[in-house]
Amino acid sequence: MKHFLQFISKIILLLLLVAIVLDYGYSYIYSKSTGRNKIENVVNSKPKKYDVVILGSSRANNHFVTQLFIDEGLKAYNYGMSGSRLQESALLLELLLERNYKIKNIIVEIDLNINTEGFSDGTRARFMPYFKSSEIIASYYKQILTPSEYNSFYYLPFYRYINYDTQIGFRELFFSAIKKPSANIQNNGFYPLHKIGKNMQYDLSDYSPKKNKDYELIKKLCNQNHINLIALTTPICENVKNRAYFAAVKNLYPEIHNYENVVTANNYFASCGHMNETGAKIFTQKIIEDFFKKQH
Amino acid sequence: MFFNSFSFALFLPIVFILYWFVFNKNKTTQNSLLIIASYYFYSCWDWRFLFLLVFSTLLDYFSALQMENSKTTKQRKFWLWLTIGINLGFLGVFKYYDFFAQSFTELVKGFGFQAHPYLLKLVLPVGISFYTFHGLSYVIDIYYKRIKAERNFIDYSLFVSYFPLLVAGPIERATHLLPQVKVKRDFNFEKAKEGVYQIIWGLVKKVVIADSCATYANAIFDNYEAMNSLSLVLGAIYFAFQIYGDFSGYSDIALGTSKLFGIDLLKNFNYPYFSRDIAEFWRRWHISLSSWFKDYLYIPLGGSKGGMWMKVRNTFIIFLVSGFWHGANWTFIIWGLLNAIYFLPLLLRSKNRNNMGEIEVNLNISGLKTIFNIILTFSITCLAWIFFRAKSITEAFGYIQKMVSDLSFKSQYLNNERYNFELLLLVAVFVFVEWFTKHKEEPLSGKASWVKVGLAILALLALGVYSDYKEFIYFQF
Repeated sequence: MKHFLQFISKIILLLLLVAIVLDYGYSYIYSKSTGRNKIENVVNSKPKKYDVVILGSSRANNHFVTQLFIDEGLKAYNYGMSGSRLQESALLLELLLERNYKIKNIIVEIDLNINTEGFSDGTRARFMPYFKSSEIIASYYKQILTPSEYNSFYYLPFYRYINYDTQIGFRELFFSAIKKPSANIQNNGFYPLHKIGKNMQYDLSDYSPKKNKDYELIKKLCNQNHINLIALTTPICENVKNRAYFAAVKNLYPEIHNYENVVTANNYFASCGHMNETGAKIFTQKIIEDFFKKQH
Repeated sequence: MFFNSFSFALFLPIVFILYWFVFNKNKTTQNSLLIIASYYFYSCWDWRFLFLLVFSTLLDYFSALQMENSKTTKQRKFWLWLTIGINLGFLGVFKYYDFFAQSFTELVKGFGFQAHPYLLKLVLPVGISFYTFHGLSYVIDIYYKRIKAERNFIDYSLFVSYFPLLVAGPIERATHLLPQVKVKRDFNFEKAKEGVYQIIWGLVKKVVIADSCATYANAIFDNYEAMNSLSLVLGAIYFAFQIYGDFSGYSDIALGTSKLFGIDLLKNFNYPYFSRDIAEFWRRWHISLSSWFKDYLYIPLGGSKGGMWMKVRNTFIIFLVSGFWHGANWTFIIWGLLNAIYFLPLLLRSKNRNNMGEIEVNLNISGLKTIFNIILTFSITCLAWIFFRAKSITEAFGYIQKMVSDLSFKSQYLNNERYNFELLLLVAVFVFVEWFTKHKEEPLSGKASWVKVGLAILALLALGVYSDYKEFIYFQF
């Protein structure tokens, strides 16, 4: 039995050793990567200056054509991330500020994402390689995660990579190591959709906007750093049940600008919640017109 | 509680420590602890079905005693058929009733009548097919006087409910397992070490091979209409490795776990994808079930006695029953039938026992022939797996039709956000490792074992699928 206990101890030690080496190796490669997603692009970057930064979910990512801002002489980047919630947008803003980005205006998409508080597992995963190296990320998640979740991510070597293996596992590591470019960060962060959707509809009957602590945090950060915050709803297709939801958003947060009706014709949408590139261009022009040309 | 779960990683060391340090006084204390652990293990799925397990144990135990005490053959027969009837009755109610009711409705509809059957919609108790067959083998052996009835209820209960084999086999025989539980087990370092190697390798098969293949196979099978020929061929291959990695991985963990308690279980897999014909495949795949059907169905039906016709008839019966054992769906029956058809040419030419020896490939014509036969056997096995995996026969035929008619072999991006070919390298490495270690139970023992264990752990951590958890396939049977 003594031999067996020694044998098992060695196996456990080997497991720990492999986990530590993998954790170090993965974290090192992700700390050098910049071409795969917007989060690593911020974490591993030097300070930049922007006139316009866009935050939000895919309804920001697919809707704001960054090039149109640039054509107007505004330095812009679309940090909208497909599937993300305001929790990840707020953390990303904290990272931008920590990296000493100088930002004049932030456009944040606030609409369907204040129906519930919550987070996106897929987007959270992209922060995980920097969980130990970034104080901002660690302290942000300390407030959100349960102590056992936080401690597992922080102290168990390689646990966070196992937990999010689909997003930051071996395949993604391999692509990061060979510097395979990703479509997510091309076009200055704007991800165009090309098709025209069919039979589009959206049911918002069960939706009701609620005060959102992450949006409050974004407002607070903008205020502290003298950033002009433009919060707005973005277009949705015509066939929507309970369109009154957007009025309720305005009611809850009067500073939010309603733009859900600016583009509604079906041929401008790839799906009911996502405009195609043609629709996105019309919408972005309207935003530039209303907030940037009229200002000057 | 799955073998690859965190709760099992806690459960196993606790039982191990209690077994060897607290309950190691004699075989009764050892067996009592294993029974308690086994009942707890089973109740983690659904404690309500524990009564079925206990009832089945009591039934088989008392029937066996009654059979042995019977003075006439008529009485023996009565107890045998009563036990078989009740055991299969439970299996029938839980597993097959709804299938028969629905099939009957379809049949009646075909004649223009309407029927509204009463469906039970019962949850299938996990492992019922395994422990029912386990118990049946015992009472049949008693009936044929191959063994004596077990009088110690604790020993018999452990034989039925021993947790490493409880939910997905191997289907044990009383002649093999009972003698082991009837003696006190002393700790054997070499056996326990073998067990640990087997558990690690089983985990690699399940978490790295099977679950990775599952992601791709699911993406392809669930959208087969949009897939091209290359994706569909790959889908069938990925499923073949999914089910092999899943079930043989489970069996390895079961065998390894049992070795930690000083008990050997029957080997269930012997590198089946290197088989040179379908008969050899069935001698290497799910061995405990194949041999069960041979001993308790094929031979009682007359086996190969009575000429070619009897041989063919009995072979078709065991394959159809084997298909039906897997699940109440026509797809499993067609899968069984297909395997019987594959078997037929070998049977008719009396070549079903041609490939009994070791698989060797030399650099000559005979070696090439062996490689060709292995690839051919694997290909027809994959074709049959399509029926096993498909949700319906229509879907299986649709899959095959698209596979042979599309004829596009371009790489395709799947809805799991991966390219269809990406997993081939991993599968190839796995085949390579298995080929060069096929003379052993697992590849980790022997020379440079620490390096191999390190690589296995590396594969488990870096290549394992954890966030998209897949249950063991055979738990549903």
